[in-house]
Amino acid sequence: MSTLIVIDQPPYGGWAGREALDMAFSLAAFDQPVSLLFCGAGVNWLRKGQEPGTVRQKSVEKNLAAAPIFGVEALLADSDDCNRYGLEPGHLLDSVTLVRTDPQLFAGYSHTAFAG
Amino acid sequence: MQDSSPFSFTIVITGAPYSSQAPQSALNFAEAAIKAGHRVDRVFLYGDGVHLASALASPPSDEPHWPREWSAFLEKHCIAGVACIASALRRGLVDEGEQKRYELSASNLLTPFIIAGLGEWVEGRMASSRTVYFHGSD
Repeated sequence: MSTLIVIDQPPYGGWAGREALDMAFSLAAFDQPVSLLFCGAGVNWLRKGQEPGTVRQKSVEKNLAAAPIFGVEALLADSDDCNRYGLEPGHLLDSVTLVRTDPQLFAGYSHTAFAG
Repeated sequence: MQDSSPFSFTIVITGAPYSSQAPQSALNFAEAAIKAGHRVDRVFLYGDGVHLASALASPPSDEPHWPREWSAFLEKHCIAGVACIASALRRGLVDEGEQKRYELSASNLLTPFIIAGLGEWVEGRMASSRTVYFHGSD
């Protein structure tokens, strides 16, 4: 039973994405297979060199860099949405895999969840 | 749906009452599921959904009191209601144990809800045959 947690909101403007990340880490902690999919404005989570100190938030970049260590199987990013936000492969965190978000992708997972 | 075997549900609510429809829709769903012979194993409140477990919500008397309606439903059907501890503490929802731990002036968790970790959600989705999410408007 593999789960895909979807983050479609940009970082820092709300808490739903952070709470989605906690869901993924929690599944991984219980040895449940889980991957994260970033799509829409959510692809901005994967941008290198984030500096959210001025809005008094912690960088999500560190959390995501730790995701593979905690057992999250894959960080997936919608390739069309990366193009839309001007994110070239060199702008993305190293562990990101570009994918096309289509029914075939979702068919590979038994569960899909959003945080909000 | 032709298969008539009953389902068991874990219901996840992430939208707050009075700012989203999520708790109301989830209650309608849960009531319909039980009426149709299915089972609801547990309700897990996450993110803004934890506001549903506040004992201090005081809507005008001519409006539905969603926390109390949910509370009565959970007690009537002996269903576990769990608020995520990380979401709850951030939003000022605490039980007596957390009140003492953080030396707060009050606690406000509505009976029969309890506060627990995301492990309850993980366990719920493993134990139930279906997990259904009710989100806010974002």
